[in-house]
Amino acid sequence: MQALANDVEIRGVYKRIGRNVILDGIDLEVKQGELLTLLGPSGCGKTSTLNVIAGFLDIDQGDVFIKGRRVNDIPAYKRDLGMVFQTYSLFPHMTVYENLDFGLSLRKVPKDEKKRRIQKALELVKMTGLEDRYPRELSGGQRQRVAIARALVVQPKLLLLDEPLSNLDAKLRHELRAEIKRLQKEVGVTTIFVTHDQEEALSMSDRIVVMNKGKIEQVGTPTEIYIHPRTEFVFQFIGKSNQLQGRVKSIDSRMISVELEDSGQVLVEAENVMGSDRTCTKGDAVKLYIRPEKLMIQPVENTNPNYNSHTATIVQMNYLGSAWEIEVSLLGKRMQVLHPSIEAGWTIGTEVMVGWNPSDMMIVKK
Amino acid sequence: MEPVRYDDRQEIVSLRLQPAVSGKRRNLKKYLYAVLLLLPLLLFIIGFFVIPMLYILYLSFIDTEGPGGTNATYSISNYGRFFTDPYYLHSLWLTIKVSLYTVIVSLLLGYPVALTMAKCSPRVRGLLTLLVASPLLISIVVRNFGWYLLLLPNGTVNQLLIGLGITESPLKLLFSEAGVVIGLSNAYLPFMILSIATSLYNIDPSLEKAAAILGASPFRSFISITLPLSLPGIVSGMVLVFSMSMSAYVTPALMGGANVPVLPVVAYDQIINLLRWTYGSAVSYVLLGITLAIVTIFTRMMEKGRYREVFR
Repeated sequence: MQALANDVEIRGVYKRIGRNVILDGIDLEVKQGELLTLLGPSGCGKTSTLNVIAGFLDIDQGDVFIKGRRVNDIPAYKRDLGMVFQTYSLFPHMTVYENLDFGLSLRKVPKDEKKRRIQKALELVKMTGLEDRYPRELSGGQRQRVAIARALVVQPKLLLLDEPLSNLDAKLRHELRAEIKRLQKEVGVTTIFVTHDQEEALSMSDRIVVMNKGKIEQVGTPTEIYIHPRTEFVFQFIGKSNQLQGRVKSIDSRMISVELEDSGQVLVEAENVMGSDRTCTKGDAVKLYIRPEKLMIQPVENTNPNYNSHTATIVQMNYLGSAWEIEVSLLGKRMQVLHPSIEAGWTIGTEVMVGWNPSDMMIVKK
Repeated sequence: MEPVRYDDRQEIVSLRLQPAVSGKRRNLKKYLYAVLLLLPLLLFIIGFFVIPMLYILYLSFIDTEGPGGTNATYSISNYGRFFTDPYYLHSLWLTIKVSLYTVIVSLLLGYPVALTMAKCSPRVRGLLTLLVASPLLISIVVRNFGWYLLLLPNGTVNQLLIGLGITESPLKLLFSEAGVVIGLSNAYLPFMILSIATSLYNIDPSLEKAAAILGASPFRSFISITLPLSLPGIVSGMVLVFSMSMSAYVTPALMGGANVPVLPVVAYDQIINLLRWTYGSAVSYVLLGITLAIVTIFTRMMEKGRYREVFR
C-alpha cells in the first residue's frame, strides 16, 4: 500500500448488475478539503459511485482508497464516514439529541465530550434548542439540518451527500445550498455531493464530475464545465443549448469556418472543438452548439463585423422577469435567445439581428 | 419512496379543518350517506352480536337457586363462585399460560420469517406471503387431526425423537399443554408474521444505511433501529394472537382434551353439556374481561414506554 495525496482514489472501478453495466471504468480522485459534485442524469452511475465509496455497493473490478487505505473489503460500518440521504433518514424513534448521540456512543466518546460535540454540531446547523424534538415534529428543512449535524458530529473522514436537497421546496433548497457550502468550508471536511441539478452543482462545487452511462464525461471546475465542455453530452446536460448543423469549409489556426446545411456561414474558434479527439478536418459534417444567453439580439441596423451576425425573425417572446426568452427563426432554425431587455415595438414577426462571438460557439464532429 | 409523506398529511388535515362553504346542511348530507352505507352492517352487528352479547351479560347476573331456574334472582353470585373455586381459577390461569406461550412461540418463530419477507425481492415476498397464509386455507379440524398423526405417543415426532436417541419413552405431546401451544401457534402464526412484516415494510430502508454509516454493525443496527421500529407490528401481532388464543375452543378441545380445560372449553361444557346457561355466561364474561384487561394494560404500557414515539 502506498501513501496517497488524495482523500479518495477510485481506480478502474467496474460494476455490473445483471446485464447492466452500472459503472464502466471509473477513475476519480477527490482532493483533501474539496467539495466534489457527481452530476448526471438518473441512471448515470453517480449514486452508485457514492455507494461504492460508502461501502453499500460491492464492485467487480478496481480499487477504492480512502485516506490512503484500500477499503474494497471493509464494510460500510467500519469506514468512518458521514452521509446525508435524500429522505433525511433520521431515526424516527429518537430525539434530535439521540440521533446525534448514536454515532458518538458507537465510538465510545466520553459523556462530557459527547454533550459538547452535539451542542457544537447543532450550533453549526442552527438547530440549538431543539434537542428534545422528535423528527416528526420538525419541518423538512430542519430534518435535513439535523441529518447534516448527525453526519458531521462523528468527525467523519468524508462527508457524502446523496441528493440532500431534492425533497425540499425551491426556496429552502437555495437556503440550504448556501448553508452546506458554508458548513463544508468551515468544517473543512472533504465532501462528495451527488445531484442531478446542474444549477446546484455549478453553485456549490469546487469541482464537478459529469457522468453519463456509467462513465465520467468530464471533470473540472464549474466554469470549465460550463464554458469549455469537452463533450456534447456535457454541453447539453449543463444549461440550455441551440444546435446548428453544417460542414467544415475551411480551418486555420484560429478559426473554423462552417457552411450551414440550409444556408449561411458561421465562424467558430478553433479551440472550441468538443469530442474525444477534439479535432476536425475540412469537409467534416459537424454540429454547432451555442447557449441562449450568448446570443445577442439587436435592431437590424446594428451589425458587428467581428461577430457572426444574421437576420432573424421573432417567433415567440416569453417574459421571465429577470430576462426575456425570445424564440427566433434564424438560418432556417428555431433558436432560443435569452436577453435582459427588448426594444420598444418588438413583437412576433419583427426582424432583428442576432449575433454571437465565435468563441462562444462549440463544435463537434457528427 | 415517499419523502413528503408528513407534509402531505398535514396539508390534508389542514384542508379538512377548513369549514365547508354552505356549512351544516352539506355536512348532514355527507353523514346521511355514510350512515346509509354502513346501515346493513350496523344492523347485522346489532342483531347478531350486540344483542346476544347483552343477553349473555344479562344471563350471567341471574342466580338460579333451585333446579329449572326456580326462585331466580339477580346477583353477582355466578362471578363470586368463579373467583372462589380453585378449579375455575386454575382454568383461568391455564388459559392465560397457554395463550402467553403461544404468543412467545409465534413471536420467536414469526419474527425471522417476517424479517426475511421484508428483505427479499417482491416476487419472493409474494410467494412467501402465500406460503405463510396457507395454513389459514385449511380447516382447523383437519389441521388438528394432522397434528394428531404427528404428535401421538407412537406418532412421527415421537418415533423420530426415540430413533435419534433424544428420549427413551415417548413424550406426552398430545392431550397436553404442549400440544395446545403447538396447535395454537400453528394456527395463529400467520397473523403474527403478517402484522410484523407490515410494520417492517414501512421502515425506510435508508435508515439501516444511515445506521451503518454511523458505525453500527448489522446486529447493532437491528437492535437499535429495526427492532424498535417494528414494535407496532410486534404489539399488534401479540395482541391478535393472545386474544385469539384466549378465546380458542376447537384447538384446545382437540389437542388438549380433558387434560387442558381452558376457559372456552369450560364455558362450552357449562352451557352445552351441563345446561348451566347462567354460570356459563359468567365464565364467558370473565374470559372477555380478563382478555380485554390484559390487552389494554399491555398496549398502554407499550404506548407509554421507552419507544412511545414509534406508536404515533
